Amino acid sequence: MPKSQRIIDNMQKRINIPYKDLNMGAKIYKEPTLKNPVLLCGWPGIGNIGITAIDTLKRAVEAEELGEIEPWDFFYPHKVVIENGLLKDLEFPKNKFYFKKLQKFDLIFFIADEQPADVKGGYASGKKAYEIANLVLDIGLKFGCQRVYTSGAAVAQIHHTTKPRVWAVPNSVELIDELRKYKNTVFMSGIEGRRGQGTISGLNGLMLGIAKNRGLEAICLMGEIPYYLQWIPLPYSKASQSVLEVLTQIFNITMDFNLFNQYVEKTEKSIEELISTFLQSLPEHIRERVEAGIEDLKGKPAQLGPITDEEVKWFKEHGDKFLEDFFKKDDEENERTL
Amino acid sequence: MRELFRITRQPELENASLIVGWERDAGGVATRVIDYIIKSIKGKSFCEIEPIDFFQLGGVEVDNDVAQFSGNRLFAGGMKDLILFMGNQPQFNHFRFLNVMLDVAHNHCQIKELYTISATVSSIPYNSPRQILAVYNTQEFQNSLRTYELMDMTWEGPPALNSFLLFTAKMRHIPGVSLWPEIPFYLATVDDYRAQKSTLGFFNKRFNLNIGLDILDEAIERQSREMLKLRKQDPQVDHYMKLLDKRVSLSQEDSINLANKVSQFLFNK
Repeated sequence: MPKSQRIIDNMQKRINIPYKDLNMGAKIYKEPTLKNPVLLCGWPGIGNIGITAIDTLKRAVEAEELGEIEPWDFFYPHKVVIENGLLKDLEFPKNKFYFKKLQKFDLIFFIADEQPADVKGGYASGKKAYEIANLVLDIGLKFGCQRVYTSGAAVAQIHHTTKPRVWAVPNSVELIDELRKYKNTVFMSGIEGRRGQGTISGLNGLMLGIAKNRGLEAICLMGEIPYYLQWIPLPYSKASQSVLEVLTQIFNITMDFNLFNQYVEKTEKSIEELISTFLQSLPEHIRERVEAGIEDLKGKPAQLGPITDEEVKWFKEHGDKFLEDFFKKDDEENERTL
Repeated sequence: MRELFRITRQPELENASLIVGWERDAGGVATRVIDYIIKSIKGKSFCEIEPIDFFQLGGVEVDNDVAQFSGNRLFAGGMKDLILFMGNQPQFNHFRFLNVMLDVAHNHCQIKELYTISATVSSIPYNSPRQILAVYNTQEFQNSLRTYELMDMTWEGPPALNSFLLFTAKMRHIPGVSLWPEIPFYLATVDDYRAQKSTLGFFNKRFNLNIGLDILDEAIERQSREMLKLRKQDPQVDHYMKLLDKRVSLSQEDSINLANKVSQFLFNK
């Protein structure tokens, strides 16, 4: 069966069934008629690269609210509000859909505060991740989407002053030629040592696979983040900027980057300060080596992993632990719950 | 489709209320109070929630030298208006777990009210009276419990599972209250008999249980004696206690130090 027919069948199956009977766990506020809509998904991940890019685009085009996924089944609430003995509210991570009508095609955005995970702090995986990914695609299909974009981080051996490239991973060979057109994109085969292979963790990866199974085209755009900043508790906005530049090329959207550039400059400053504090926190013999390692990356083209086996071993024994401990220590503090 | 719970018998119930507690809670408040009530009403387990969808089941935990694998069970007894839940907090699928519990309690047992027990840690002296803070999911239920000397709570922050349960009950139109007896932070890992007594006192009054509190009175006296002994033995503990008596907050380091000393001393007793 041709791909387009599968998409239509999928759509019809869903359109003919009311939402309440589908028990989809989604609420739709409006029923706009959309033309060739494209679904863009953003959720938190390393450096919040994807969500920052997608959310900035959503704001730039002034997308309207379309609906939301009911959070109870997927997420643990993050805040309770109790006033004078009464439970006023329980706040859950938000998972909302937005839409924007453009001239030639329309956009649907899905912006999530959190990726659902069975185990706290882990990447989205298992049943919940599979269910939410399908639910997002159900909504996309309901409005006629044929293509999905996700975005995340590509952990690479680059220096933080280097302009991050965007690794593009499509879910079908047919999309490769199209993606070649866009500036500053690279395929996994273009990364030294990769031979076109790799893994995409969490919903970004899962979505590509599930979309493929359901007959949809999907592309993941991953902004490069330096290896030593993967635990950083700040958004790595420089990579989001690269992703955003690719997205505006794809959709032929003119965007004023001035405000975003200011934000990038501000976060870069914070990152410089954080790196300096991190280096100061290291024992001297470790600091010298980490400092030299970071400095060595300056001006070099991006590479995938640590350069030699010896470096890999050393980083595993020293660097990883310090980086993880330093950047994740706040998360481990126990919070009082009521 | 596989059932998420197993009912072994249908208890005879009339206008039942559900009391919920989780194992290994601070001060042993929920664990002990629910245990006392189950014994008092000669309660027996009638339903178990299957663990497979809610726990990793990658082995067992050992506590006090013994492997633990307690289930999540609902109990009912001769007294027709109470069912009790005691179990472990699920590791995932929290909302589904809470709904399974309420499915049994509401759909099979027609409960009319929900009570949850937890404890809230506080910088209070060990011999001070324990207040019970309360959170309700409806104004009407709050009004109906005005005579029970519960203190209304005001708070914003990360929710405990009992707050999630209270919210889930509200979605299902079940009035409920979460009881949060105060316990001294340094008694969180051992039994806080005073908090157990005040909480049991509430349920005694609310459901006319007539559970004798003598055992708890004896335990309170014994614990007070042990605390005095520790204060005499360890001047630093005595110093901390004097500060707490004066309502002076301890630093984080001093708090950890005090909690370690007290729990180690009482645990060894």
